[in-house]
Formats: sequence, structure tokens, C-alpha cells
Amino acid sequence: MNLSKLSVALLARGLLPGLLLGLSATAQAADDPVTLTVLSSTIVEGPEGVAEQAAADAFMEARPHVTIEFIGVPANELYAKTNALAISGSMPDVFINSPEFMAQAHDLGIVADMEETLGADYFQGFAKGPLAQSTIDGEYQFAPWFTIPNTLLYRRDLFEEAGVEPPSDWDEFREVAKTMTVDTDGDGQTDRWGFAMVGTNNGSGAGRFFLVLRAHGADEPVADGDSWTTQFDTPEAVAAFALYGELVADGSVPPGPLQTGYGEAVTLIASDKAAMMITGPHTIGAVLDQNPDMAGKMAGALLPSVEGVEPDVNLGMFGWAVSSDSDEKELAAEYIRFILNRDNQVAWNAATGRLPTRLDALEDPAIARPELEGFIEAAEYGYQVPTATFYPDLFSVAGDAYQAVIIEQKSPEEAAKGAAEQTERLIANNR
Amino acid sequence: MDVPVAASGVRDATRTGTRPRRRRSPVAAARERIGLTFVSPSVLVMLLLVAYPLGYGIYISLFDTNLLNRWDFVGLKFFNESLADPGFRRSLVVTVVYALLVISGHVLVGVTLAVMLASDVKFNTVFRAILILPWLFPEVVVALIFRWIFDPIFGILNHALSMLGMISSQVAWLDDPIWAFVAVVFAAIWKGYPLVMLLSLAGLQSIPKDRYEAAALDGAGRLLQFRYVSLPGLAPILGVAVILEFVWWFKHFTIVWLMTKGGPVDATNVVSIDIYRTAFQSFDFGRAAAMAVIVLFICVAFAIVYRRTVPDEEA
Repeated sequence: MNLSKLSVALLARGLLPGLLLGLSATAQAADDPVTLTVLSSTIVEGPEGVAEQAAADAFMEARPHVTIEFIGVPANELYAKTNALAISGSMPDVFINSPEFMAQAHDLGIVADMEETLGADYFQGFAKGPLAQSTIDGEYQFAPWFTIPNTLLYRRDLFEEAGVEPPSDWDEFREVAKTMTVDTDGDGQTDRWGFAMVGTNNGSGAGRFFLVLRAHGADEPVADGDSWTTQFDTPEAVAAFALYGELVADGSVPPGPLQTGYGEAVTLIASDKAAMMITGPHTIGAVLDQNPDMAGKMAGALLPSVEGVEPDVNLGMFGWAVSSDSDEKELAAEYIRFILNRDNQVAWNAATGRLPTRLDALEDPAIARPELEGFIEAAEYGYQVPTATFYPDLFSVAGDAYQAVIIEQKSPEEAAKGAAEQTERLIANNR
Repeated sequence: MDVPVAASGVRDATRTGTRPRRRRSPVAAARERIGLTFVSPSVLVMLLLVAYPLGYGIYISLFDTNLLNRWDFVGLKFFNESLADPGFRRSLVVTVVYALLVISGHVLVGVTLAVMLASDVKFNTVFRAILILPWLFPEVVVALIFRWIFDPIFGILNHALSMLGMISSQVAWLDDPIWAFVAVVFAAIWKGYPLVMLLSLAGLQSIPKDRYEAAALDGAGRLLQFRYVSLPGLAPILGVAVILEFVWWFKHFTIVWLMTKGGPVDATNVVSIDIYRTAFQSFDFGRAAAMAVIVLFICVAFAIVYRRTVPDEEA
């Protein structure tokens, strides 16, 4: 059964309880119409948007008086949009929150008491890893929706053809990237590259660089008692910056890495122009959406790391939070519970490759598909994203630094030193 | 003839320090009230749409705030820090260079095309319609079109240069600091020249034909006619166009953001991008407001200098 058929079947399973609810909902038909506004970045993505809308439609079908109104915004603009909505006093009832943003959302006071809204018992049904990353001082900031353990996605078919294994350290990674960089049509020009580097100066690029940084043994900020310190200027960080420069200089990266965002990198994989990418399982769905012929050709593996260092994996988690200003907290909680029920979690995974967070959904055999194995394994290495209000600033700090190395404007040492100095300033101004 | 103060019905203003008041007739007073009634909507709209946002922006710049629940007064701290910040100063320089190049391009291309359109070329109307097209495209569309033109793998520029044998491998134009800057300037010139072209065309058509005839009788060729008749005739219009363009392109955001995000590194980091990042990526609204107020002062200073250097009848 292919992904789309499976997802339709599972969505139908998701609809069943909805339809049953619908029978009892006839009693509510006389209810006043209610509109629940939902701020989502996945609703504007493909195939995520279709699956999310299907779940929302099922929710509305069971509750005819309810209208779900999505506010769609691209992922890289999500936090800016949330801030703008908060400032203008027009927060939606439900919004996406994440470990990267929750400190800022908490500072703004826009998150309702999630334990009171959803019930303390409800949070016992989540996997421990995601749940641990959704709290500040023991208070839940959101209900985890999915994880996308960011690790190494590679073209299994090309690797088998070339007789190479996924690399386990960074020297191997360089070699494999070079091996996979080829001229497929013999016209004298490279037309497939080893590594689709996301080198844009934003969360997509910097978030991936942080994984490389951590896999070299350096952390972007490290908690130091009540304060923070940075390891940007350590030899390990210098090696990570140097790796980015070398991969581009080697020609193992498609031209224009600084303009290659997540979307462009997905297109490179989908159009058979790149063999590896640092990303999560959701990319499989996005690639298949562009090129169904890629089915069965991709797999996940642990990110390479230096000896003695276990690779850290960013769970890339998003979750649902209820706005503290919402007049429809009960309905918002009902919507979140519906979206996170077992059937919808499994259907969402089938359509998008994003991994569930609810324990009952994680036990579903449909989750353990071969192409997701590497990502599921990688999820065990998930790390706690530092909870600091300055954390989003580190994206541009790191972005400036690795871009300067890539275009040879600075040496890795200079870039690392500059990044460390900027981070120290941010720490000093931390609220 | 001297008229006694008491007899004139006007109080001695020098003694009281107040302006002399004239006794108004009921009709004049009614007229004044009607006048005030008529202008009050405009005044109200100006206060709401111009004065309030400006005042609020200046107010925010004095606070360390998230605009919701944290308002820590910091005075002029953000102004001092911004002006001392090499990154912000660099972005101001980048912005000035960017704005000057774009405006120069607009004037050069706009005036050249206007001169061509002002002459009696065939299919003049068709050319006018085509040449105005860039102005009709939204900036977002223009930025995305140029981004794809400059794309190293799928872009038509590399494809064309490769076909002509001018490059042997894909060039990542927007990854190179100089080429990226050239690319955003080029896209902005392409987008904005029609405004100057239309203004110049209108200006050229308003110059009396007899001036050209007189110049021709004096033996002036087309180049000299342009230098001594067209350009002086266009000067007032170009003056207005330049100040409008400077203020517009100094604050410009869309094309640069969508094409390069201010990169690579900070090669195209114009001040509006710096402000946006400070506000919506760092969520440091007070600092961003201070930076915006500095930009406001620069634009106002430019307008004042312009008003003082260009005579009223030309401005």
C-alpha cells in the first residue's frame, strides 16, 4: 500500500470516531456557531496541509456548529507572526509552539495553563522525550504533536549502487559526499552532488548547523548555573565551521548553498540532484509529493560524529498550545485532543512521515515503516533545546558565521571567534 | 496716517505681549467654524495615521519591551547603542550605496527611455505599454522572478551564459557578496524605472517646441539640445523624483529580503532588514524602534537639505 492510500485509509479510521461523535452531535446542532482560529505553519506545506485540513474537516463534520479557521504562515515566519498577533491582541485560539519558541511565548504570557486546559492525566499519554522538552519550570507549554528527528537522510539506492555505507564520522562524510558527486549524463558537468547543504541564514540553515556543531562536540549555548556560556570558540566548533567551508570548496555541495533553504534542498533531492541532506522524516513525504518515483529510495541514518561524541538529534518538535486570551479554551482543548488521537496521529504520520508523540500511536505497527527506521532510532538521541529567550538570535549568529566561512570571507577560527563574541553579548543582555 | 490705538479698536499688543485681536463679524466667525469643520476630518486622519504611529514609534524606542507585559524604561540607551554598533552603521552605509545606485539607475534608464518615447518612433504606444510593465508587477513577483533568473542550477542566466560559452560551470551569483549586491540593485532598477520614465516623459512633453527650434537654429545637435534644453526643463521633475525615490528606496525591504535575505553574510543587509530582524527575529522591539527613528531622522534630514538647496518653484 503506498503512502497516499495508507493515509486515506487511516484518515477514514480517524473519521470513524468522528462520525460516531457526529451522531451525538445532533443534540448540539442547536448550538451557536463557533469559530476556532488555528495558527499553523504545516497547513501551508505539502503534503502536510492536505492531511491537516482533512483532520480539521473531520472535526467540523462531527461538530456542525464549529468552524476551524486556519491562519497559515510559513515555518520560518511562524514565530514573527505569533509575536505580531500577540502584540496586536489578535492571538488565535490555538497556535503552534515549540521548544525553540516556548521561552519567548512564555515571556509574552500568551500560553494558557495547559495542564488545566487539557487535564494533568492527558499529559501522561505522551512519550517522555517530547514531553520533557515541552515544559518551563515544570509547566507544560504545549501538547507535543509530532517530532521530526533531524538526522541524515540519504538516497539508499544510490548508496547501494556506489557500494558505500552511510558515514559514521566526518572524514567518511567528506569522502562519501565526494563519491556521490557525479556527472550522470557525461556532458562534463556535475549534475548530482553529495550533500544538499541548507546554508541559508535562518532557522532552517542554522538549526542544521547546530547538529553538525554538536556532532563535533560543541554546544551552541551551555547552561552555566543561572547563566549561559558558549562553545562557539572551541576547537570543536572551529572544526564544524571548517567542515562547511571544505564541503563547498570540494564541490560536494550543489552551487548556491547560501540560497539553498529547506524547500530548495528538498527539490534537489526530489529532482535527483543530491544524495544526502540533514533533515527529518517529513522530507520523505515532501520529496514524494514532488516526485513519486522516489518511493523506497530514501532512508535515514544517524548523523556522523567525532570519536567519543554521540550525535545529538534535534527532535524538530511542534506542539499545540491554547492561547491565554482564548474564549474557547474548552473547544480548543477538544480540538487538540482530536488532532492528537491515535488514529489522527497515525494518519498524519502516514501522510507526512512526521513521527507521533502519543504513546498509543507510537505502538501502532504502521509507524515502523522501513524508510522511517533510521529516524526512529535517531529519536533516541534527542536533546533538550536550551530554554533561553536569546536562543532564536543564535540562528543568525551561526548563520553569519558559516556563510562567512563558505564564501571564504573569514577563516573558521575568525568566524568561530566572532560567533562566540556575539553570543556572549546576547547572554549578557539575556532577560 | 497714524490711527490711535483706542480708535482703531485694537488693543495695545506690545503692552500685553499678545497678538492683536480683531473684532470678528458673526459671518466671519461662522465661516471660520465651517472651515475648521471641513479640515477637521483631514486633521484627525493625519493625527491617527501619521502623528500617532510616529509618536508611538518614538515612545517604544525609549523602552526595553515585548510590547505586551514588559516595559522597562531605558531612555536613549538603544539610540546610543545602535549608533555605536558597527553592524548598524555598516547597514546604513549599504543602504545609502544601494539607494544611490538604484536612483541613479532609475534616472539613467528612465530619462533615456523617456527621450526615446518622446520622439516619434513607430509603435510608440506599444513600447510605452511594454516599458511600463515592470511597474505593474508586485515587488514580491519581481524578486522571485530575479531569484529564479540568478538560480545557479535552474536559472536562465547561467543557462544562457553556458550556451554562449561564457561560463564553464554554474555560477552562484547570489552567493557572491558583490554579485548579490549587483543583482538586487539590478532588480530594483528594473522594477522602479517606469516611474521616472513616466515623469520624465510628461516633463519632456511640457517643454515648448520652440526652444528646440531656437536651439537648432543656433546650430545645436540633438545631444546639445538634450543638454541645454531637455535637461534644464526636466530638472524640477527629476528633483522631485529623486527625493521621492531616495526616501522610498532607503526604506526598501521586499526585493532584497526575498532575493538575498540581506546576505551573503551582510553584503546586502540594508537597514530595513536589520530593523526587521531586530524586531521580529530577536523580538527586541525597543531597539528596532530606535533604529527606525534614526532612519526617520535621516530621511527628514535629506528632505530638509533638499528643500534648502532646491528653489521652491523647482521643488
